[in-house]
Amino acid sequence: MADTLVVTPDITFIREVMASGGEDLKKCYQCATCSVVCELSPDEAPFPRRQMVYAQWGLRDRLMADPAIWLCHQCNDCSTRCPRGVRPGDVLAAIRQQVVLHYAAPRFLGRWLSQPRSIPLVLGIPAALLTLALLARDRVADALGLSVVPTGRIVFAYSSLFPRWMLNGFFGFFALLAFVAILVGVLRFWRAMRAAVPADRRGQPVAGLISSTLSALARIVTHRNFASCTTARSRFVSHVCTMFGFIALAVVSLWVITAAYNPLIRGDFVYPFSFWNPWKILANVGGVAVLAGCCLMIRDRLRENGSASSSSYADWALLFTLLLVTITGFFTEGLHFMRLEPHRHVAYFVHLVFAFTALMYLPYTKFAHLAYRGAAMVFAERYGQTREASSMAPVNRQDAQQEG
Amino acid sequence: MAKSPGVYICSGCSIGESIDVPKLAKVAESEFKVPRCQVHPVLCNPEGVELIRKDLADGAIDGVVIAACSPRVKTDAFAFDPTVVLDRVNLREHVAWCQKPNDEDTQMMAEDYLRMGIVKAQKSEPLEPMHDEISRKILVVGGGVTGLTAALEGANAGYEVVLVEKDSRLGGFVSTLKKRFPTAPPYTELTVDGVAAQIESVSYHPKIEVLTSAKILKTSGQPGMFDVTIATGAGEMKTRVGSIVLATGWKPYDATKLGHLGYGLSPDVVTNVEFERMAAGGPIARPSDGKAVESVLFVQCAGSRDKDHLPYCSSVCCMASLKHAAYVHEQNPDAAVYIVYKDIRTPGQYERFYRAAQDHPLNFLTKGEVVGVEKADSGALAVTVKDTLLDERIRIEVGLVVLATGMVPNAADGVAIRAVKDARATLARADATEPQKVDARNKIETLAHHEGTEILQLTYRQGPDLPAFRYGFPDSHFVCFPYETRRTGIYAAGAVRSPMDAARAQEDAAGAMLKAIQSVELEAAGAAVHPRAGDLSFPSFFLQRCTQCKRCTEECPFGTLDEDVKGTPQLNAFRCRRCGVCMGACPERIISFKNYSVEIIASMIKAIEVPEEEDEKPRVLVFMCENDAYPALDVAGLNRVQYDPSVRVIPLRCLGSLNIVWIADALSGGIDGVMLVGCKYGDDYQCHYMQGSELANRRLENVKETLQRLQLESERIQLTQLAINEYDRLPGLINGFVERIRELGPNPYKGF
Repeated sequence: MADTLVVTPDITFIREVMASGGEDLKKCYQCATCSVVCELSPDEAPFPRRQMVYAQWGLRDRLMADPAIWLCHQCNDCSTRCPRGVRPGDVLAAIRQQVVLHYAAPRFLGRWLSQPRSIPLVLGIPAALLTLALLARDRVADALGLSVVPTGRIVFAYSSLFPRWMLNGFFGFFALLAFVAILVGVLRFWRAMRAAVPADRRGQPVAGLISSTLSALARIVTHRNFASCTTARSRFVSHVCTMFGFIALAVVSLWVITAAYNPLIRGDFVYPFSFWNPWKILANVGGVAVLAGCCLMIRDRLRENGSASSSSYADWALLFTLLLVTITGFFTEGLHFMRLEPHRHVAYFVHLVFAFTALMYLPYTKFAHLAYRGAAMVFAERYGQTREASSMAPVNRQDAQQEG
Repeated sequence: MAKSPGVYICSGCSIGESIDVPKLAKVAESEFKVPRCQVHPVLCNPEGVELIRKDLADGAIDGVVIAACSPRVKTDAFAFDPTVVLDRVNLREHVAWCQKPNDEDTQMMAEDYLRMGIVKAQKSEPLEPMHDEISRKILVVGGGVTGLTAALEGANAGYEVVLVEKDSRLGGFVSTLKKRFPTAPPYTELTVDGVAAQIESVSYHPKIEVLTSAKILKTSGQPGMFDVTIATGAGEMKTRVGSIVLATGWKPYDATKLGHLGYGLSPDVVTNVEFERMAAGGPIARPSDGKAVESVLFVQCAGSRDKDHLPYCSSVCCMASLKHAAYVHEQNPDAAVYIVYKDIRTPGQYERFYRAAQDHPLNFLTKGEVVGVEKADSGALAVTVKDTLLDERIRIEVGLVVLATGMVPNAADGVAIRAVKDARATLARADATEPQKVDARNKIETLAHHEGTEILQLTYRQGPDLPAFRYGFPDSHFVCFPYETRRTGIYAAGAVRSPMDAARAQEDAAGAMLKAIQSVELEAAGAAVHPRAGDLSFPSFFLQRCTQCKRCTEECPFGTLDEDVKGTPQLNAFRCRRCGVCMGACPERIISFKNYSVEIIASMIKAIEVPEEEDEKPRVLVFMCENDAYPALDVAGLNRVQYDPSVRVIPLRCLGSLNIVWIADALSGGIDGVMLVGCKYGDDYQCHYMQGSELANRRLENVKETLQRLQLESERIQLTQLAINEYDRLPGLINGFVERIRELGPNPYKGF
């Protein structure tokens, strides 16, 4: 029978979800309170009730292709109201980790990064790579005819240990790898989501790709989804701080990295900037914002731990990575202004290790949510699975009849 | 007979403010010339009661009529020697509290009730308790967990117990279990203690005689004097017991009828009982190839809650499957267990076990309906389920399918067995007509399978075993009367009376044993058991006038009456529950109690003063079941609900005791209408005597023909069913009926 689902539960999947924050998954008795109270759940394709039963039954493939998993912003409105104390918010978070793992390429990196016991390895790799780069620096410089000491109109005097070309080359290489990895993951995710749309509607998206992307971007920038949460209201502020702080830092970094090729920059470009340089101010404000955002998130997580939500290793790993990147950044900055030798070089080294950890491992950590959630949101816009669109374009009529 | 009863009227509780009590006292004094008539403001206080006691002691009176509150209250204050005739006239609940105060009609009502009470007392005779050699020994039939518990409870309470078990060993089904349901907080762990300890206690108890491999050959006599013949390995033995606890347990539903769920398709489709046996016998393996079980699917309600099989829920199969899931995971933590249910029903604390089971990562539970079980190519069994929680039809391949079948009582239907016997007798008779023969053949065809299922082998006229109630359970199946059966002195306990688990069966055993003890004790006192517990009256038969019509023996709900070869009823007074159904059935009116007879009620009817036609005051007689309707009318009074003053209520022990001559008496006496208010009958009957109001209804059909002959409207008679909690309906019913009687106009026989 074509309409019969052959059930073969993925036992490992169930156990992993239960081990990574969804330990009460099996308690769910399908009352659908969660779907009803969720402010983001579209009427025509409500979540997370359905996703809960799929997870209970180990229907991994369905969840891997479900944008709803990512439409959830874990505000925990469902978790605080669940009569069985299942915390669907945490279960979806655990499933999101599984999605990241599923699309991780190469997979072993995903495995490593999901386990606390590989922390030494995870940090050791960038440290070792950077050390190798340092050791090889002079030989490479000789071979390529580059100078270790800053020359020319771009003065890059943060640390004489790490010449600009070296950092650009080193980080550029790994950033490219990370970018390819996340791109592959997202494309595979997109294909899976598309395949899961019923065949008769697959060819009829309700919005164009560009307009969907713009709507999703508008949603992200305005934090509209966060704003609709009631239980985790404070997450709105912390995410705004962290996200925009991070963007500010990224913009400054890109400005600096690309300075040599930037036609806007004429004349000398001295890095590090002076304290009152507008770029420096932007970077410092961004850094403070990330710091504040992370601290708020940590406070919230500690406060709600065990009640509305309990945080998993992945949550803490991302938070602390961002926090440490920022703290070591400020530390380096301070030592730099004080011209403390050789402390500032050591601090910079540590900072670079954490920066590497945050950025280069992005496809394998919770940080990947920016790509997967972004893709899911674009997909939801395109196929009318947002709360606003649901009244216009029913996606799953069966759901509407059953739960609407 | 109480020729000279004293009348005591209470004017308290607002009776005096509503009724002219001195005028009422005149009725007793001038109309009846009673030797004593006293009015007291609070008759129930010691001073008032002393008044009565003094007159009794003086010998001034030989009976007591108390006109005060309902006979259902103050029974402790107005408790006299049972040999003194006592009648209670309900002035408070039935007059003062529900009628217009100081109204002419209210006064007439009070006076009529007093007349009826005095007449009843005058016609009643003092009661004398029966005496006989009562055995206090108790027979327990069945040596499973219920029987063992019942035996221990009875023996520990000081009673001799005989325990009969057909098997060669005690313990029953529970002793074959691997583990039992949780019995203690937190109710999430299965227990291993079976019934070994109980078996040992029973085996060595000085007051318990255990007979294994035993079979009852005959049970004759009556409560207090049951003579039981038992065949054992050592030969036949006879013993006399006072009462019987039937604890014969259950058998699993016949799974061969469950082909649609795959039973018989493969050896890997088993029942829950077979699975339990597999688990108890060692590691669970697939019956087909002996391989370890990787995945199991349980089909709940297999042949239960299904109109084609068992229509009821057995209440234990859900727990059994959850327990079996635990067995599977104990053996193989990676095995997938699927449970497909209609609803999971884990009563009481078992809900906790269910919750714990839900938490197991590899328990997959879904509501759904199994639509097919087939062999998959892989050698596994493929189960298709529709209407699942996944909102899709699903197909699951598993190594083993377990059908959670329900419980069928291990009971024999005595009435059916008797019917087959009668049918065979009809066929053997030379003078049987063709339609009789056809009927007999049909009966034999549908009921023959009951033959040979006998358990108690009663020598009762109505059949050798308890009559079966709904779904074949012998329990009276009414929430108020657990353990009661339709044979006095025989109490059903455990799974034979209702599907239940071992823990509940143990509670049940204690309850039924207590009933059996009450039974022997009341019989020793010559008194009735439930529902007229303590009643010392019993029916007597004026056999010289008996026409052997057999109506009494047929209609007695409790098999009290046997009959001799000619069909003359033979009373077994200790089997009697004193409902009076026989009295209502007898066309010759030869059955009566000393304080309840056709004549007494007829006299009460005659005592009602029927106003002349010109007065335009209709009179309506209401016969009320004293178990449900009468208390409901009391509650109506308690709530000060007003109703028409034309009615005169006579309580009946059971509407089944209604003799149609009363209706004829009433109508020929000028009463305008007769209303009967009885308990609900049918599937959800509430009758204390099982069929009373149903019998009354049947008898009424005949009355209506008589009415038509008398050219009286059949609307003048109405039977209504009322539950005890429906007091608020009563005034409406009464007023509506009186209204219709007014519309019909006065009874033309008035004044004749």
